[in-house]
Formats: sequence, structure tokens, C-alpha cells
Amino acid sequence: MASDGLSGSWFPPGASQRYVAEAAVDAHGALTVTVEGEVVTSAFVEKLVVSERVASIPRRITFPDGSLFETSDNDGVDAITGAHGTAAGIIDGLERYRPRLFVFAGLVIALCFLVYRFAVPALVEVAVAVTPPIVPTVLSQSALASLDTTVMSPSELPADRQAAIIAAFKAIAAHSPRGADGFVLNFRKGGPIGPNAFALPDGNLVLTDELVELAANDEAVLGVLGHEIAHVEGEHSLRQLYRAAGITGLIMMIGGDIGAAAEDILVQGSALMALSFSRKQETESDRRGVELMLAAGRDPTAIVGFFEKLLNLSGTAQPPSMLSTHPDTQGRMDAVKAYAAELKARDGQGR
Amino acid sequence: MTDIAPWSTAARPATGMPAELPRKVEPFTFTGTAREYFGIWIVNILLTIVTIGIYSAWAKVRRLRYFYGNTHLAGASFDYHAKPVRILIGRIIVLAIILGYNIVANLFPVFSLVLTPVFLLALPWFVMRGLRFNARVTSYRNIRFDFTGGYWGAFKAYVLGSIITWLSLGILAPIASRWMWHYLLSNATYGGRPVTNEATVRAMYGQWLLPAVIFLGGLVLFGASAFAILPALQELYSDISASADADLVLAVIIQLLLTSLLPLIVLLAFAGLIYRAGTRNVAFNATLIDGRHKLMSFIHRGRFAWVTVSNLVATILTLGLARPWAAVRMAKLMAVSTALEVEGSLDGYIGQIVDSGPAVASEYLDVEGFDIGF
Repeated sequence: MASDGLSGSWFPPGASQRYVAEAAVDAHGALTVTVEGEVVTSAFVEKLVVSERVASIPRRITFPDGSLFETSDNDGVDAITGAHGTAAGIIDGLERYRPRLFVFAGLVIALCFLVYRFAVPALVEVAVAVTPPIVPTVLSQSALASLDTTVMSPSELPADRQAAIIAAFKAIAAHSPRGADGFVLNFRKGGPIGPNAFALPDGNLVLTDELVELAANDEAVLGVLGHEIAHVEGEHSLRQLYRAAGITGLIMMIGGDIGAAAEDILVQGSALMALSFSRKQETESDRRGVELMLAAGRDPTAIVGFFEKLLNLSGTAQPPSMLSTHPDTQGRMDAVKAYAAELKARDGQGR
Repeated sequence: MTDIAPWSTAARPATGMPAELPRKVEPFTFTGTAREYFGIWIVNILLTIVTIGIYSAWAKVRRLRYFYGNTHLAGASFDYHAKPVRILIGRIIVLAIILGYNIVANLFPVFSLVLTPVFLLALPWFVMRGLRFNARVTSYRNIRFDFTGGYWGAFKAYVLGSIITWLSLGILAPIASRWMWHYLLSNATYGGRPVTNEATVRAMYGQWLLPAVIFLGGLVLFGASAFAILPALQELYSDISASADADLVLAVIIQLLLTSLLPLIVLLAFAGLIYRAGTRNVAFNATLIDGRHKLMSFIHRGRFAWVTVSNLVATILTLGLARPWAAVRMAKLMAVSTALEVEGSLDGYIGQIVDSGPAVASEYLDVEGFDIGF
């Protein structure tokens, strides 16, 4: 059938009126449509607009006069228009149900894993590297300003206590590649956020009065500050931001093909994964904090004292660590002690 | 070239014709198969990843052409005509807008307070233009659809409708549904002929009752069981409330919310699916195309909810590989639940292809996963 003609429907230009029709290439090389033996339109093959083949859906052949011939005879259309070798023809060939589709499926799963495991982290590194310094500055200033207007109030810590902490802090910060001048220590009354310390990406650290009171001794406070310095050094906030953006972009890209509900679940799932990423950053900062304290000639396990106070406060109720942004406290204390011991031992051998 | 005049003047029934034209119910059918669609789907995803997203525009066109082209009514199929390059440009612009918004929102949080209302005001525009684009690239029997809805209709249907639904805790949802379906259906045209929708708020409330009872019943059951474990919760609360560690308190609260909210979310989603199928039935069954062809919808609500939920579960359990099967299964269900009661014939419609305009709005809806409602 494909050789002598195509059967299908013909529609006059812009009309829904349908005629049972035949189309065949005539002696001059023109595709000619006939309805009940009468020629209704004709045009050379290269003047036709032929829709691309998608599985077995009907093909549309639009004639220069605007009329339309529609047929389900896909092979017949390809034989006439020579769709083989075109991009659409190649893609249609790939899509045919053959064993290699399962190879494609395996490839997709492998690629998704590789992208998540390597491409996203690499892109995050590139993005961090090309981010102009103004970005962390603006980020930090606006974050600090909004916290100041909403939850935090000026510190009520005595000036001499503040000065003592700042002096010791500068000595530790001097061992960071950013240098002592790369950091500014801000004292605040935490209010609703309680005993807390956090680092802003431009090197501004915030320390709440409540934390200083809870820690009781300055050594523990400095241990916490060492940990916060490490967050700034590692540019952790920027990394988190870019990572979330990159993964969301990836999910959006294939969103239409996986369905809206599955897309929502992936987005929620990636938020859970982001928590685990942030736990990894906490662990990394704990270790770097130990190194900084040791380098400054202070107690590298000082932060453990602070963790103990925290544990005393919170009793025994521990949340499962999967849902937390921070690893479980007991685990962190053990890890800090072990790392400090390891560093000291290595130091001892070195001498 | 043959003279086409005799064909193009094919008689269009004049409005004054007698109403005794034969009526015939034409069912929709879907002829796609999971096997066939699997190939299109996996190649779409593979090439999208390999081309770092560029192919996604072509992927969308192939996917929709597959689904439209396999949807048949009265011996003819639908088709989707969007140009992939236009979709790609639309997507790039939308991504740039989203990126810009996020940069501003992160750098200047105060500005996002200004930008959020701006986005809310822009949403109806996106809906209106998105629907128009989608209608204009859809054809049936050589005639393109069109959509003539305006900004304020979309504002009422989507912004105001969501607001009253949430503020009334769902009690006014049928009013919002009536606005939405009326906007979607009565603004559509085929071959320049209007579509009318006469669904009443009263009929929408008829579909609201069952899901509301299901949800309330579930809520009561859930509340009773929560009351039973209250002492344990109080003990836990006194344990952690002594703690001043904000992270710990937060983590426990998140965990409690997750475990307690999850059954509620599932219940609400189930009730929502039943409601959605019901309102579609009501809206379609009150719709006339060109004042004579009657649209019909008869989805079994329980079956719709079951297919949706089991599709999602199967898709997750197979790491997404069951998605083609699930998508084809849903398309089949929707097709066999829909029909058109044709008066006379579907011949005689005349349409001109109007420019579909830029694809930005439709891509915004697509990328954001905005649910149009069909």
C-alpha cells in the first residue's frame, strides 16, 4: 500500500470538513490527493510540511494551499518524504521498543547519580569561585539587619568581658587564612534564638549573651567560635544556597516527564538531603575548629564543654539525626575528642 | 493547483435550522501503550540530561504530541503544534526570571516582601496567556482551539478562589471550583464558535459533600487517637521544653509534625482527588460546544483517586521507571470517562490559525508545576 498510495483524510484549508482521500506521488513527482477520484490538491514533495513521526500517531501533511492530508500510514509517509536520516527520524528510531531501551534506562539512572554526586558539587565549586565578594557582604548585612530588627537586641554583656573574648578570638582567627581582620565578632542578646552562635558568609560572627552565660567559661565559648570560623572559611552558606538551586533546577528540567506529584516528592526529598549536607558541614567545621584551637595553643576539645552543658539542659531526649541539621551531640563530642587526640599524637611524633 | 472553492464553502448549518438533527454520543478513546511511550519517555530524559536541559523543549513537544495524537474522538485525533524552539526560549526566560527573583530575595530579603505581591498579581496574566498558548497549539480536525479569557477572570478563578478556599478552610471551595471551571471552559472556542458552561455552585456543593465528610471523619478518628497518646506527648514535651537548644527543640517539633501531619496530608489529598473528579464531571456535563454539542464526563471518583494514588506509589517504588505505564493508564481512564454528544456532524467548522504568541507564560506554568485543572 505504501508504494502505490496513502489512504487517509483530507481537510480543505481551515475547515473541519473531512473527506476520505487517497494520496499518491504522480508522474511529475508531486503528491496528489484525490477524493472520490477527483484531484483536490497537489504539490511537490519539497513544498509539503510534514509533521515529525512520533510512535504511531497520525501524520499531518500540509499543502501549500493550506489544505491538510492526514494519515496513519507512517511508513508510507516516510517512504515518500524520505524522513530517514533526519534528526526526527533518528530520534524516532531510538524510541522504538528494543532491548537497548533498558540500556538507556540504566544509563539514565547512572547519569542521575553521577550528576548528583559529581556534576552538582563541581558546579557549586565553580559558582562559589566566580561569586564576587560583594555577594556574601550584601547577604550578610541584610541577614544581620533583619535579625536585629526581629529577634535580637543589643548585648548586655559587660564591656570588659566582651573585650577579653574578642582578644582571645582574634588570636585564634589569626590562624585562619582570612586572618584576624577577616572576621568581626558581634555580641547580641539572642532572645527567642537563645544560646546560639552563627557565622555570616562575609566573616561576621554573632555570639549571643545566652551562649556566653551557658558556657560559663570563655574557653568553651572560644571552642564554639573556632567552629564558626570554619563555617566562614568553608563558605558553607554559599555552598548550601548554590546546591539547593542546582538540584531544584535539575528536578524542574525533567519535571514534565515524571509528573507533578513525583516532582513534588523529589523536591521534598532533596530538602531532606540538604539536611544531611548541612550535617556534613557541621562535622567538617568541628574538625577545623579543633585544628584552629590547637594552632592557637588553646584546648582543642573546649567545644566539648559547651556540648556537655547543652546535653545537661536537654536531658536525654535526642531526635533521630536524620531530621536534624546538626549531628547528634554525643557523637560530635566523641568525634571532637578523637580528632584532638589524633592531632596531638601526630604533633608529638613530628617533634 | 485545484480550485478549492467548492470545498471551503461547505455548508455550515445556519443558526435558524430545525433542531431535529440526529444526536450521537461519541466516546473519547486513548490508543497509546505503556510499551510505546516508554521509548519516547526514556529517550526524552536521556537526551535532556545529555544536552543539559536543552532537549527538554523537544521532549515536551514529543510527549504531548504522543498523548494528543493518541486521543481520538469521532474517528479523528488531536494534535499539538507548539514549536520546540519557542518553548525553549520560553523556558530560558522563565528560568532567568526565577533565578533573578531568587537572587533578589536572597540578597535583599526586604525586597521579596514587595516581589511576592507582584508575583501574585502577575499569576493571572501567566494563567491567561498560558491557557491561550496551549489552546492555540491544539488542533482537532484541522481546526485550532482558542482561549479568550481575560486577566480578571483568571484573577478571580485562581487568586481570589485560592484565598477564599483557604480562609474558609475549604468550605467555600465549590465557589472557587465553579469560578475556575467556568473560566477554563466558557472562554474556550473551537473554530471561532463559543463554548458555554452553566455549572451551578449548588451542583459543585453536591460534589463537595462526600470528600468533606471523608476528611472530617478522618480528622475525628485521628484526633481521638492523638488524644489517646497525649500523656506520652506531654512527657516528651516536658523533657524537651527544659532544653534551650533551639536546634534540638526544632528537630523534635519537625519530627512530631511530620509523623502527625503525614496521615492528615494523605487524607486531605484523597478527599481532594475525589472532589476534583466530581467537579470535573459537574463542569463538563454542564458544557455545550457551539450551543449544540454536549460535553460529557463520568469519571468514577473512587477509581480516579485509586489510579492517581497507585500510579504515584508505583512510580516511586520503581525509581520512576513505571511512570510511562502510569501516565498511559491515567490518559486511558480520562479518555474513557469523557464523551461528546454530537448534534448533527462535526463538519462545517472554519478556523484560522492565529499566532500562538510567545511560550513564556505556558512555560512558567509548566516549570512551576502549576495545575491548570483538566
